[in-house]
Amino acid sequence: MSLLFNDRQSGANEKSVSLLQRIQGQLLGFIRQWLAALGEIWRDPIPSLLTIAVLGVSLTLPATLYVVVKNAELVEQSWDNASEISLFFKQDIKDKKQQAVIKQIELMSEVEGVHFISKQQALTEFENLSGFGDALKYLDSNPLPDVLIVTPQPDYANPSAAGELLTELEALKEIDFGKLDIEWLRRLEAVVSLIKDALFSVALLLVVSVILIVGNTIRLSIVNRKEEIEVLKLVGATDGFIHRPFLFTGVWYGFFGGVIAWIAIELMLLWISAAIDNLAQLYQTDFSLQGLSGGDMMYLLMLSMGLGLAGSYIVVKRQIKEIEPDAT
Amino acid sequence: MIIFDQVSKTYAGGHQALQKVSFNLEAGEMAFLTGHSGAGKSTLLKLISLMERPSAGKVFINSHDLSTVDSKQVPFVRRDIGMIFQNHRLLRDKTVFDNVALPLIIEACHSPKEIRKRVHASLDKVGLLDKVRYYPQMLSGGEQQRVGIARAVVTKPPILLADEPTGNLDPKLSMEIINLFEEFNSVGVSVLIATHDLGLIARMKYRTLTLKKGMMFNDGLNQLDGDEALS
Repeated sequence: MSLLFNDRQSGANEKSVSLLQRIQGQLLGFIRQWLAALGEIWRDPIPSLLTIAVLGVSLTLPATLYVVVKNAELVEQSWDNASEISLFFKQDIKDKKQQAVIKQIELMSEVEGVHFISKQQALTEFENLSGFGDALKYLDSNPLPDVLIVTPQPDYANPSAAGELLTELEALKEIDFGKLDIEWLRRLEAVVSLIKDALFSVALLLVVSVILIVGNTIRLSIVNRKEEIEVLKLVGATDGFIHRPFLFTGVWYGFFGGVIAWIAIELMLLWISAAIDNLAQLYQTDFSLQGLSGGDMMYLLMLSMGLGLAGSYIVVKRQIKEIEPDAT
Repeated sequence: MIIFDQVSKTYAGGHQALQKVSFNLEAGEMAFLTGHSGAGKSTLLKLISLMERPSAGKVFINSHDLSTVDSKQVPFVRRDIGMIFQNHRLLRDKTVFDNVALPLIIEACHSPKEIRKRVHASLDKVGLLDKVRYYPQMLSGGEQQRVGIARAVVTKPPILLADEPTGNLDPKLSMEIINLFEEFNSVGVSVLIATHDLGLIARMKYRTLTLKKGMMFNDGLNQLDGDEALS
């Protein structure tokens, strides 16, 4: 479309160009520039490779922490039935009273289910398991208390909520004391939340560094292609047309950096999975290490490409504005 | 086609490059622009292609006031002007074909088939159709200049501006280049050629705008005046 000459359609094209052709042309131009940006990396690979490697390493660290957190959470989840609460009844509680209390606890909204173990059952179980069967016969009376195993609702199964429930239950006067053997889970949770916080700040720092690295590389490549940019401006290229290859290059950097990070993580997982399996066997669990899922992978790539775009965006506009053609 | 109305240009630092220059280049006219180095030839061309803006006065192209063109519209003005440079300004890492196709690719509304057709037509006109796959540095100076011309005319612009197009060429090659401009002029393109090659101008009977110290010293066919201006 000509600004100065009304009768001049898109560069003196004799026949006017239809809207469809325009859109097609624009799209073709986009694809051309998208691939040209890749070609540019291919043609001069050394600086690009260095940048991509730095991006890959920078992205690997937060991604690794993410994998650690993900697996730690998995461990936590697989132990959620550990937050069972054992309530020990006081001695000399009348059966009727005891039944009422059990009913009362069972009906609490926080409680999923209860399992009553009478002192007789407990003694039998103990006789069978401990091997002290004969020795126990010399006892005058059964020293074991009646026990009620309370399973909290999933919402109340995490350490802090289960802890509160325990305090509430201990307040009942028929209950001697209760036990919630999930201290270690509490500690694990604390460690995981520490790693999560660390992950966030480390990720934030590395995200900033990725943006700066891409920005600096793109800035250098703009300086190197000053002459070409001048020529483009002289023959009537719009700013958008000149910006796009650099923005696309940033996206490509992000893409390749993301791929490197992904490969690095997979290799690392491969490296330690044997040790993890060994450890899991010792603990008699069937825990297996989780890597990045397809969704995580997509997320990582989208993120790294977005960072690449952001990095190039912050320099492209200003840097290219500074380059103005000179007629001589 | 191109009208200068009392145009002055003062650069930052106080250098006055043009003073109250007025002229009117008609549609389909071909003219030379001459003068010493520093007389303001380049500044005048820059004002037409919007690389610079006048300090005073107005420039019109096809009766559009260029002062109303904002920076976003500048590229679209340049698409209507074919520009040719002394050092041809070709992209060294692109083939002759890609160099010439550049203005068409920028317009982004041509099919690849049409681009090929037009580039070939343009290169055929400057006699370099057999060098499509070459890179600029594989060509001679005269050939490179012709590639520059092919790039300038591939979009068939109504105006051609040339800044010292024969600067580095011997008289025979210079004449060939000027003959090419004549050909484009004969199909209605307005052509303005800045040059200090007086011998070349003397052999042609075209209007000659002579600048001296930023002022329009002479505007006409008379060659002698031009010589005086430079003596």
